[in-house]
Amino acid sequence: MKKYTLKRILTSLFTLLAILLVLFILMQLMPGSPFNDEKLNNDQRMALYAKYGLDQPIVVQFFNYVKNMLKGDFGVSYNISKNTPISQLIQTRLPVSIRIGGFAVSLGAVMGLLLGLVAALKHDTIWDSMATVISVIGVSVPSYVFALALSYTLGFKLGWFPMLYKEKLALSSSVLPSIALSMFTMASIARFTRSEMLEVLGSDYMLLAESKGISGSALIFRHALRNALIPIITVLAPLIVDLMTGSLVVEKIFSIPGVGSLLVNAIQSNDYNVVIALSFIYSAMYIGIMLVVDILYGIIDPRIRLTKEGD
Amino acid sequence: MKIGKSAAAAAAVQNAYVPVDADFRLKDNAGEIAIDTNFSAQSFWKDVFIRYFRKISAVIGLVLIILISAMAVVGPGMNTYTYSEQNLSQKNFAPRVKSLEKLGIFNGNESMKTTTGSKIVNQYEAKGLDDVYYWFGSDNFGRDIWTRTWSGARVSLIIAVAAAVIDMVIGMSYGLISGYFGGKVDMIMQRILEIANGIPRLVIVTLLLLVLQPGMVTIIFALMLTEWVGMSRIARAEMLKLKEQEFVLASRTLGASSFFIIFREILPNIIGPIITQVMFSIPTAIFTEAFLSFVGLGIPVPQCSLGSLISEGFNSFTTHPYQIIPPIVVMALLMLSFNLVADGLREALDPKMKEM
Repeated sequence: MKKYTLKRILTSLFTLLAILLVLFILMQLMPGSPFNDEKLNNDQRMALYAKYGLDQPIVVQFFNYVKNMLKGDFGVSYNISKNTPISQLIQTRLPVSIRIGGFAVSLGAVMGLLLGLVAALKHDTIWDSMATVISVIGVSVPSYVFALALSYTLGFKLGWFPMLYKEKLALSSSVLPSIALSMFTMASIARFTRSEMLEVLGSDYMLLAESKGISGSALIFRHALRNALIPIITVLAPLIVDLMTGSLVVEKIFSIPGVGSLLVNAIQSNDYNVVIALSFIYSAMYIGIMLVVDILYGIIDPRIRLTKEGD
Repeated sequence: MKIGKSAAAAAAVQNAYVPVDADFRLKDNAGEIAIDTNFSAQSFWKDVFIRYFRKISAVIGLVLIILISAMAVVGPGMNTYTYSEQNLSQKNFAPRVKSLEKLGIFNGNESMKTTTGSKIVNQYEAKGLDDVYYWFGSDNFGRDIWTRTWSGARVSLIIAVAAAVIDMVIGMSYGLISGYFGGKVDMIMQRILEIANGIPRLVIVTLLLLVLQPGMVTIIFALMLTEWVGMSRIARAEMLKLKEQEFVLASRTLGASSFFIIFREILPNIIGPIITQVMFSIPTAIFTEAFLSFVGLGIPVPQCSLGSLISEGFNSFTTHPYQIIPPIVVMALLMLSFNLVADGLREALDPKMKEM
């Protein structure tokens, strides 16, 4: 297990380094230079290059770049808010995104579990087909279609919730985006819960538990659900990562002052520094979550640990 | 500790209680009893065909895909407008269809919110245009939304299918080669794949489009770079299952080259999971393209895709909701039906697989 963990950590670090290299190369390929003011003469331009270390060999530049990125110094924004350090821009926005993402994941997980349980327990009835239809729609329709539909009906027509995010009404403003984002999580969890529960319910140990006289909710929750949960936990984590990318457009639709809408704005106004910084943060979070999940898999389910060690 | 406890409990139960008939019920084994039946031999593909068409949702999905694709081909030519033709005197017209307008729907009316409440506006009558019909309405530049929706669907479908097919070729070859040779080759190829997989998909697509010129080819290229990983995983897993089988050994003994074994002996045997994966990657490609268009990195104007139409419609979706409804409905149906078809294919091609 130790060897496997160490190997996973090393691979993750290497991946992060590779991403930094890709980002750095892309930065070099970006059209234009940061100092393209026509009033600058050649000497002044050279002085500016020297000031920002752009006159050094490219390898040195790369190492400086890696050092700065890892320290959390992403440079300054060029267009969105001039000369503001990007780390400062992100600091105020990250909590908003995390809160809405957190709501969405919790809502999706709880609703998905319930839906999947109902479908499995009432297998081959109208409830089962309804749950299947809901989960197919949830998996295949993109979150921003839900976002637009919710925003138009509940937000604009009925006026129950704010259409656009308001700082003062942070809680009720988070309702619609959270629901829109949770649909995919809910649907995937529901599908997974259903198939796992059906498998567990048909197993011999459930028959044994039933014949021992355990009945009703104890049978379902203590014996069946607990065993079905292990694989469900392992699919939840990648979903959290997917949620981050899904939130980009949804944040834009509700004009939530989060990280996603910052990235969209940065792309639209060609603020490369911000795009690169946010890409790095997304990648780092993604790699971090995947690492934690992979190590957790082994702890939760010994069967996975054994096969991975055999690799 | 726990085991001792439950054993003691079980012993206590046995000593204290004698079961009566009511404690037992018959095990329901109707599903396990099979009555012998004879089947005529039929080919694998005929079998797949029958299983596929037995599933209603898969058939619905297939019909929808055919309908939408057909409309994407003929739809833009069904009226006289073109996708880029602007008519600034006829902008933001509500939908109006000739035979339906007498029924009170699609008659060009739309309710506008004003300071004194809402009122019904009919742009066609207000401007005296009796023989002008925009079936889905017209947009902010006076372009016909019907024509634009279907030519957008065409662009989205071309991008998605092209990206999925290229992914299939690259991912499949990568996975098959990695799995077949094993050892060091596999190790190196899998490490490269892990790194490629560690980079979030949208990040790489976004950055690539910032550097390259936006356009259909660039989008296909960007989608191709990100989608092959899943495909290669499946191809490798299937290869690992098959490569130790006798028919491979036989082929090798007869002197077949590695290339022949990989692509002529093994590939035909794993075509099922690969087709399924292609069908699953098409909706992903449609979604990614729509996301890129929404962000402004998609197809350059005046061309349009479903994503760019949704993005345009979004700007005025509270005042003129009819502008966003057609592209969003078409896209949702398209993604839904590709998923339904993929689900159906998965079950038809591999009936032993566990139901998801």
